[in-house]
Amino acid sequence: MTHAAAQAPAGKIVDRDRSAALAFLAPSLLFLLVAFVTPLILLLGVSLAGPSGLSLDAYGKLLGTGYYLTVIWNSLRLALLTTIFALAIAYPAAFALARARGMVRTALLTCLFLPLAASVIVKAFAWTILLRSDGIVNRILVGLGLIEAPIRMIFTETALIVGSVNIFLPFMILPIYAVVTQLDRRLSEAAATLGAPPIAAFLKVTLPLTLPGIIAGVALVFSLSVSAYVVPTLLIGERYPTLASTIAKAYLLARDPQFGAAAGVALLVIALIVVTLSARLAGRENSR
Amino acid sequence: MAPGAPHLVVRQVSKRFGAAHVLDRVDLTIARGELVTLLGPSGCGKTTLLRLIAGLESPDAGSVELAGRDITRVPPHRRNVGVVFQSYALFPHLTVYGNVAFGLKSRGRSRGEIDAAVGRALSLVHLEHLGARRIAALSGGQQQRVALARAIAVEPDVLLFDEALSALDRKLREEMQVELRRLLREVGATAIFVTHDQDEALTMSDRVAVMFAGRIEQVDEPRIVYARPATLFTLGFVGLSTRVSGIVAGSNNGRVEVDTAVGRLSAIGNFLIGSPVVVAVRPEHVRAAPETAGNCVAGRVRSIVFHGSNSLVEVDAGAATTLLAQIPNDVSAPPRVGDEIRLCWPVAETFAFPMPEAGA
Repeated sequence: MTHAAAQAPAGKIVDRDRSAALAFLAPSLLFLLVAFVTPLILLLGVSLAGPSGLSLDAYGKLLGTGYYLTVIWNSLRLALLTTIFALAIAYPAAFALARARGMVRTALLTCLFLPLAASVIVKAFAWTILLRSDGIVNRILVGLGLIEAPIRMIFTETALIVGSVNIFLPFMILPIYAVVTQLDRRLSEAAATLGAPPIAAFLKVTLPLTLPGIIAGVALVFSLSVSAYVVPTLLIGERYPTLASTIAKAYLLARDPQFGAAAGVALLVIALIVVTLSARLAGRENSR
Repeated sequence: MAPGAPHLVVRQVSKRFGAAHVLDRVDLTIARGELVTLLGPSGCGKTTLLRLIAGLESPDAGSVELAGRDITRVPPHRRNVGVVFQSYALFPHLTVYGNVAFGLKSRGRSRGEIDAAVGRALSLVHLEHLGARRIAALSGGQQQRVALARAIAVEPDVLLFDEALSALDRKLREEMQVELRRLLREVGATAIFVTHDQDEALTMSDRVAVMFAGRIEQVDEPRIVYARPATLFTLGFVGLSTRVSGIVAGSNNGRVEVDTAVGRLSAIGNFLIGSPVVVAVRPEHVRAAPETAGNCVAGRVRSIVFHGSNSLVEVDAGAATTLLAQIPNDVSAPPRVGDEIRLCWPVAETFAFPMPEAGA
């Protein structure tokens, strides 16, 4: 930034600020180093450690087998669909939440936060209870005469996406909500008085200004759902193998830590790409 | 005096929010090129009236006409109005140029037209060198100018200012008042200002509409609003005054004699004998002089506030009545606190208003 230099007339102050920031960050950096970076390096090491020294066999198996490419695609597809549907629901919901006042707002926020306190396993099981053939949804539909016999809902991709969107939705709503509450409502009015019809005003003013929230929510939900284990295992099971379930199987059943580690690295790379891309996008948005 | 034909006509407009009457059958007619201020305390409906003209609120009853077109039900984006908001409402994700070009782009103008119009608007507000600047990198005064340039660039039928100068500090605000008036004259704009600041209203406008409780109390040139307030509210809201209540004891040819707690006073007005009234006078007409003509009241000086060329003297006339006198500081023996003093003022500058009903 060209104005960064103008804002920092004395280099010394910046140096001192920087070392102070570093001192404040030190505990968390140390923790991350021990608890996160070291295991990652170990993971990378294991993924490359064949029975007879260094080998890329695990990666070859992962990227060279049709089945495992399907597995990778399954994880990506789950993450993509979850992210798209969560965004479609969360965006208007965040506005409703930001516009709500008093008791309504408190109630809505509680609805948003309370599910976060329940374990993902509980929520996934709850969906299986709702959706199974003698579950509530089927019984209501049969009772209303809308369907003659219970239809298969559980163990379908629809069930998977519905459950996944439900579980990860708060992580999309919250960052967007945070941005929308900062939005000056006068801006849309200004756009209207300047001759922009509602849709144009939304596309040219509201959307660009809420984009940082969208980017943050997409990054969160995508990286959470691409690595989801419990949700696909309980809601669709064997029919939809994912990277996460592959890792679990490699470690727990096949006793093949090298392959499990390689799948773990693949998952990490996907998450890194998404996070880096969104950080880039958000950065560009901020410096415009 | 209104130059030209009616340009903006607000007719019998009412608006309520819930049980509250925010606007109550308001009429206002503004000529092309006129600068009009809506002046009043907060909650008087002035901002709602402005938003109704902009199309950001719709009236429950009544109509709004602009440039010969009934726009009562026309949405804001098809009205051709320019609004300068109190918070400026500049688009933070766009540059200065992007903000000023916004309205022109919405109107589908060509690139060349937009460039020319943005350049013109920015040079009017002396910001032609800052087109590429981000909004966050501007001072408050510069943001104010960008907001003005953005509103002017589309050549709106009417410019609406919602407390647009109130966020600036006093010195900058006074400079902007003078500059804005000059600039609006230069481009021949029709403008409405909303303000609670009487100095701003008196400085900026051809006419002032004084509003209170959802109604327009008086619309007149600033000097008339000040010198000949139509209602007790206008008198009290614009400028200082002394007010004494009393009962009409005699009435003759537009002049009344009123019995008050500080004696019999004469005032301009037509009232029936026995009516309760409020008699009022502006402090600059009150003199500490041995005159015998006009209204005279004796009292004791309670306080003196020095204002440079004159002093505002508060005189306790007994019976819980305080008189305000603006005394020039060129007199040889200025009054001092505690002095006995006799104040006189001409009958022609003494107003009588009907006593407001209890609770009003």
